[in-house]
Amino acid sequence: MIVAFGFLAGMVLVSAFGVVVSRNVVHSALFMSVSFLGVAGFFVMLNAPALAAFQVLIYVGAVTVVILFGIMFTQKPQVRRFATIINRQFWASLVVALGIGAFVAVIVSIEDWGDTKSGAGSTSVRDLGRNLLGVGQAPEIFSLLFEVASVLLLVAVVAAIVVSRRKAGAGEDSQVAERVES
Amino acid sequence: MPPQLQQGVDFLNAEIPLEFYLVVGAIMFAIGAWGALIRRNAVVVFMCVELMINAVNLSLVAFSDYLPQANGEGTSYAILVIAIAAAEIAVGLAIVLAVFRSRRTVNVDEINTMKG
Amino acid sequence: MEQTLTVSQQLIFAAIPLLPALVFLALALFGRLLGEAAQYIAILGVTVSLVFSVFALIQVVRGDGAPIDFAVDWINLGEGGSFPVGIYIDGLAAMMLVVVCLVSLMVQLYSGAFMEGDKRFSWYYAVLNLFTASMLGLVVAPNFIELYIFWELVGLCSYLLIGHWFEKPSATRAAQKAFIVTRVGDAALFAGIIIFWAYTGTTSYEGISAAVQAGFLGGSVLTAAIVLVFVGAIGKSAQFPLHVWLPDAMEGPTPVSALIHAATMVAAGVYLVARTYDIFVQSEQAMLTVAYIGGFTAIMAGTMALVKKDIKRVVAYSTVSQLGYMMLGLGVGSYTASMFHLYNHAFFKALLFLCAGSIIYAMNSYNMQDMGGLRRRMPITFWTMVIAGLSLSGIFPLAGFWSKDAIVASTYEEHYYVLFGMALLTVLLTAFYIFRAIFMAFMGEPRSEGAREAEDPPGIMTGPMLILAFLSIVSGWVGIPEGFAGLPVTDYFAELVFPSEFAAGALDLDEHSFSVALAVISVAVALLGIGLAYLLYVRQPERATSLADRFRPLHTFLDNGWYFDALYGATFVRFARFLGRLTRGFDQRALGGLVGGVGRGAMGTGGILQRLQSGSAQNYALFILISVLVIGVIVGAQYTFLVVALIALVTVAAFAVGAKL
Repeated sequence: MIVAFGFLAGMVLVSAFGVVVSRNVVHSALFMSVSFLGVAGFFVMLNAPALAAFQVLIYVGAVTVVILFGIMFTQKPQVRRFATIINRQFWASLVVALGIGAFVAVIVSIEDWGDTKSGAGSTSVRDLGRNLLGVGQAPEIFSLLFEVASVLLLVAVVAAIVVSRRKAGAGEDSQVAERVES
Repeated sequence: MPPQLQQGVDFLNAEIPLEFYLVVGAIMFAIGAWGALIRRNAVVVFMCVELMINAVNLSLVAFSDYLPQANGEGTSYAILVIAIAAAEIAVGLAIVLAVFRSRRTVNVDEINTMKG
Repeated sequence: MEQTLTVSQQLIFAAIPLLPALVFLALALFGRLLGEAAQYIAILGVTVSLVFSVFALIQVVRGDGAPIDFAVDWINLGEGGSFPVGIYIDGLAAMMLVVVCLVSLMVQLYSGAFMEGDKRFSWYYAVLNLFTASMLGLVVAPNFIELYIFWELVGLCSYLLIGHWFEKPSATRAAQKAFIVTRVGDAALFAGIIIFWAYTGTTSYEGISAAVQAGFLGGSVLTAAIVLVFVGAIGKSAQFPLHVWLPDAMEGPTPVSALIHAATMVAAGVYLVARTYDIFVQSEQAMLTVAYIGGFTAIMAGTMALVKKDIKRVVAYSTVSQLGYMMLGLGVGSYTASMFHLYNHAFFKALLFLCAGSIIYAMNSYNMQDMGGLRRRMPITFWTMVIAGLSLSGIFPLAGFWSKDAIVASTYEEHYYVLFGMALLTVLLTAFYIFRAIFMAFMGEPRSEGAREAEDPPGIMTGPMLILAFLSIVSGWVGIPEGFAGLPVTDYFAELVFPSEFAAGALDLDEHSFSVALAVISVAVALLGIGLAYLLYVRQPERATSLADRFRPLHTFLDNGWYFDALYGATFVRFARFLGRLTRGFDQRALGGLVGGVGRGAMGTGGILQRLQSGSAQNYALFILISVLVIGVIVGAQYTFLVVALIALVTVAAFAVGAKL
């Protein structure tokens, strides 16, 4: 168990670090998806295989692809040095991030969680389904949340289309031409 | 079996305490935060935000698994979070695209009209 | 002992000071609309007050001297005592009321012509009426607090009126000087009032007097307190050493001088001493202080008047001198004689000022060296001034004789021989300087264009002068001693104004009948003075100038008022100016800097904080995370040191980050 945990933890953290420091944006995206995979592995270890499936499908599958598309549409090909990809907040952010990380880690470790072990909470998919929809013993609010999430997704889709469409009749080149003239 | 080997096997088969998962989540969150603050490329900032969200998901599911008083709701929360994160990615990248079209750059620190 | 009064009677007596006050309000508010018509309202108000005052006088006389006394509780502190306000009119007060109203009426009639065309005509009348109201209120006050209120009001009106022509810097300086010098006296008076109140728990004259008799305070504390009160009187009545303001107060319009600085306000000090006589008589030292200061002032002012060229200043010094006489009289115990002199003096001194005013009105100059030969051109002024001068000198049988002579005689009879000498010398000086002024102005040949063209002023000005001249002759006849020269006369005045039984007992004066010898002596001395003046200014004017040259140092010494102004200027005024500069510097630098500093500090802080607004969203996100960290640490931390260190670190980091960006 420990071995699996260690391996997955290393995968997650090293990839996360890679996302941050890699000079190539595509490399960052790929590191990110590796990190997602690691987290999916964690979900399996945590007796939530359904969730692991969701994670892989959505994150590794859809999100990574969307991000890669975004990269494709917005990047100019050039070689970058490390200094040009980092802004001036490097050290301050490092301190703050370390601080937050340390703080949360310490708080969490100090806390007495009782004598719990994995699998103590409910792990069946049926319970997951019931919880998600707010039926049975689950708080009823979940049903609302579920519906709201659906609406949110719809809105997001529409918004994304609206925000990113080109203005009617104007191409990308004509926009550049306008800006150069003005 | 010799005692040391037994110890080693016991060690390898030991339960993983809850704190381990939480600490990993914390560190992942910190790394994500760090990256969100220092990278100039807006898309990379997005990726780091996703890292942070995943860290939180990890903690949620860990709680749901370890604490019976959570009634397994953590996993449901995690699913909802995933859904919302996906929506956010969609809209966010659309905005990045729009900004790129008007300013030809996705460097966050060049978009500073809020200055002063 | 008091009279019982109906409500309407109380209203009438209360109206005596209130009516002029209402006139003041009306004129202050509507003066600009009324313009020159203001004088009619004012004169109406004073006339009604005069009528009411006469009524009060009749009431007191009919009551055989029992006073009119009623009061309402104004401030009631319960355990701490109460401060009533009320009206107390006995013989002395009734007499003063009539005098004040009468002189005020004369002055207001006169001012109609004198102040014609003045820019602030109605304001002048307004303040004049406020002054009249305050003086009347002062006279009827039954306790120190009410007195002090009106005392201050009177001083304020004096300031306003002296500075009426405030475009003249000399006038504003004179007004300030008057106010500040009398302020010194007022402060002392207040200190005295506080001491009395602290020891006796009351501020009414009767109460304090009774308490003092009962022994609540005595010895040196009593002397100190009553001398402090006397210092207040010194300030108001321009006695030594607070006399320096009165000559300068002549910068005000002449009718103002006639009313305030001759007949009424300056009499307030003497009046105060008379009012609190019961307390004064209980302290030997206080009485002697009063007497000697009065006597010394009389001589000092008399010498200063000898050399002045400004006719108003001569009369002003004369006022100081005569007030000294009154103080002298009170000090030696002749209460009735002093008050009699106060009463007579009001009339002839006001008349002297009005005559000076009419000369100034006719000639537009107050310098006696410009005058001369006015006798033919301004006969009314001449004859009225001569009458006033004779009355002032104390020539039989004019009014001044009866009162002045009484004071001089009493100093001799009470065995204050030094004071007698001083008083007699002052008689000589008085006669000399006033007739010097009269001869210089009216005899001889005109010495300037203005003198050649001078004419008697219009009737509205000469009318009051004539009335006052008549009074200067006859006002003394109500106080002729009993059975004088076998004539069937009664001393009405002595029956009206007399010290209380207690005071009389404490003074323990011997009865003296009228002494012909002393009367002859004082009249002779006065005639000598007149004769000297005639000699030096009519017969041989060159002798006057040659005398002045021969005694040049003495002449300058007298002309500069014994250098008192210079002395005060070098010490108090310079010190006060120095303090003023200090406080101004403190105000500008310390307080101004503080206030400005707050503003600059705010701006500076704003400027610093502005650098945090970099426009970069990641910067803001950094700050958010920093704050989250800080809050988390504060909430969850176990160690205060950790918390403090973290917060300090974070704040510095935030500013550094913000500043760099």
